[in-house]
Amino acid sequence: MCCSRNYRDTDLQYVEALEILLQGLCGVNKERLRVHEICLKSGPNLGFVVSEVRLLCDLEQSEPTWTVKHVGGAMRGAGAEQISVLVRSMVESKASKNVLRLFYALGYKLDHELLRVGITFHFQRGAPITVTVSSVNKMLKLHATDEAVPVTPGIQLVEVTAPATSENYNEVVAAVSSFCEYLAPLLHLSKPGVSTGVVPTAAAAAASLMSDGGGTTL
Amino acid sequence: MSVVYCHIFRRLISYNPYRKKSTTMPLKRVFFWQPNAGSTVNSQILNEVSQCVESINGVKEGRWKATLTFYKPMLRDQALSAEFPREFIGISLPEQPNKYYFVLRFNKIVLESDSSIQLIMEKLQSYKSRVALNFEGFQYQLGDFQLRVGKVVPSHSENLRGIVMEVEYLPISSLEKSKQIMEEFFDIWQDAISKRSLPGRFIHIEPDFSDYGLADHYTSQHTAVQYTHVTSQLIASVQAVQTGRN
Repeated sequence: MCCSRNYRDTDLQYVEALEILLQGLCGVNKERLRVHEICLKSGPNLGFVVSEVRLLCDLEQSEPTWTVKHVGGAMRGAGAEQISVLVRSMVESKASKNVLRLFYALGYKLDHELLRVGITFHFQRGAPITVTVSSVNKMLKLHATDEAVPVTPGIQLVEVTAPATSENYNEVVAAVSSFCEYLAPLLHLSKPGVSTGVVPTAAAAAASLMSDGGGTTL
Repeated sequence: MSVVYCHIFRRLISYNPYRKKSTTMPLKRVFFWQPNAGSTVNSQILNEVSQCVESINGVKEGRWKATLTFYKPMLRDQALSAEFPREFIGISLPEQPNKYYFVLRFNKIVLESDSSIQLIMEKLQSYKSRVALNFEGFQYQLGDFQLRVGKVVPSHSENLRGIVMEVEYLPISSLEKSKQIMEEFFDIWQDAISKRSLPGRFIHIEPDFSDYGLADHYTSQHTAVQYTHVTSQLIASVQAVQTGRN
């Protein structure tokens, strides 16, 4: 399972400031992100319920690599509402390059595809946390990643995720929530699907970060 | 002929334990036992084959097991089953414990993935495991060759459905470059096994790996394709015997 929060930033200058902040907080170098995400759905007769699977092609590698990803339903109930992050099951598997052909042959159809471009940080802070800042782009022609355009121009998606088990997810939730607090001067992250506005301190915080490269304590 | 036999046999037994195994995947051929018309496979044949390996100085090393699973689509309308793959096979191999392989024989697709792909398939609920076969037995070291002899049994049964043999040549990964030595080895093997007058023989029918997009350099994906083809040949062989009886 994984725990996540996200945020939609409306100003590119905040993205640069966020990058400086993240560089300082994470203590690791950023990695470039360019992932072609192909979302497949089972055809009309296949399975008693519709199933979805995502194929991720990492285009940043010299030789593109593929990952199959299944995202399950979110944790529900009163307990889930008390938790400040989204907890849901997720299974990933690396796969060889034939994976798209295989799923098409099995009866899966293309539902939509996206290209995520941005940066990512992988670090340890109470849990192995991944922070991704990316633009989400759509392709005007099938699989044409070189001709992708932003779905919502000027808006970046910030995602903070961490893997968890059913035994330790409370600790992971706490680690993710705690980390998100450090980003509060610049942005407010919420559960996916819950919209947030711009933080009142964002402009000042961004200016401060940009002026001295992050030396100022927020 | 006897000079050639001695020369090849000397190469086989001149095993240097410090010789490095190929740093890439050594290649292998998978054989299946084809019973003579009117006879069936049985455990006595399996014992004879194992004894034959030991008689040519094969050193028993340990057990091995591979599993092949047939998946079937879960369909709301069975009348549309022709729209879906006839054979969707999953394979786990002992030399790749963290990997899983899918083969669509009629579509000529082979996929290598992490073994977590099985959990993804379970969650998707679009295909389910129908029947699984275990290939299991002992492996032997024989110079630069590694042999695996095994029975083929359904996963929840001890009914012997077939016998397979893997011949792996450790120093080379190229299918083309290894052809001659593999054939020479098999000639020696045939000579040895024929002395036991068993009602059948081992057969290897090499799949066209290029149809699956696989190159000359051998990989575990080649092995997965071989097991898929061997299984279909075993099934055809069993069905032929049953047809003959009827």
